[in-house]
Amino acid sequence: MADHPSDLRTPVSRVRFLGSARMGTTDAWVVHLTSLALAPLTLGFVWLMLDLLHKDYNGVRAELERPIPAILLLAFLLAGVVHMEFGMRSIIVDYIGGQPRAWALAANTCFAALLALACVYATLRVAFT
Amino acid sequence: MASSDALPGPHRRRPLSPHLSIYRPTMTMAMSIAHRISGAALYVGVLLLAWFLIAASADATTFAVFSDFIGSFIGQIVLFLVSWALFHHLVGGIRHLVWDAGYGLDAPLRDQLAWATLIGGFALTVLVWIVGYAVW
Repeated sequence: MADHPSDLRTPVSRVRFLGSARMGTTDAWVVHLTSLALAPLTLGFVWLMLDLLHKDYNGVRAELERPIPAILLLAFLLAGVVHMEFGMRSIIVDYIGGQPRAWALAANTCFAALLALACVYATLRVAFT
Repeated sequence: MASSDALPGPHRRRPLSPHLSIYRPTMTMAMSIAHRISGAALYVGVLLLAWFLIAASADATTFAVFSDFIGSFIGQIVLFLVSWALFHHLVGGIRHLVWDAGYGLDAPLRDQLAWATLIGGFALTVLVWIVGYAVW
């Protein structure tokens, strides 16, 4: 409905971008799924860290060479990094707008990806060398 | 120039949180903020884990640098704060899962759950540190 007969804009141009982006469900699902996985994985991770607490270099490596601690650690790392990336994404879109938002989102994804690669590489290197 | 609130399409200003000037503080609000702060702290704190793993994958000398830091007074303070953030975020996350499932949203219980997050997260942290220092 045009308030003004001389308004050249179409009704659709006046309502576009005013609704939701319809992209929130996947984000919410990923955050919930990883949080559900991380609850038991965190307890396992804390147990593993307590186990490594009084060990020296060789002791730590001997523990991380065993399959169950290594797989537990890898699962915790992967679920954790995905959860962390989505969490920071929601912080960014809450507080940062415009062009800086795009840069912040890109930096967040790159940081999370690099962190995951570094941690997984290091864990596998301990396990296989 | 007209306020961008009046503009149509993508140029319209969207509301940004937090609405601290709109809602007065409550316990659930405080724990919501604490959940976000602890999450952001873990975003940085995970670098300690990365350092630990990379040092362990290198040689004994590199590992000793990490080991000396984490065993130092500053290192222990940082590790305590990161572990508190971890347990606070863990307990707070479980509270959010309970809420998202539709339970515990009524007036007395939601505040009790918020307090339980604060107390439970700190209690778990202290418990694990006591186990790490005295029992293990």
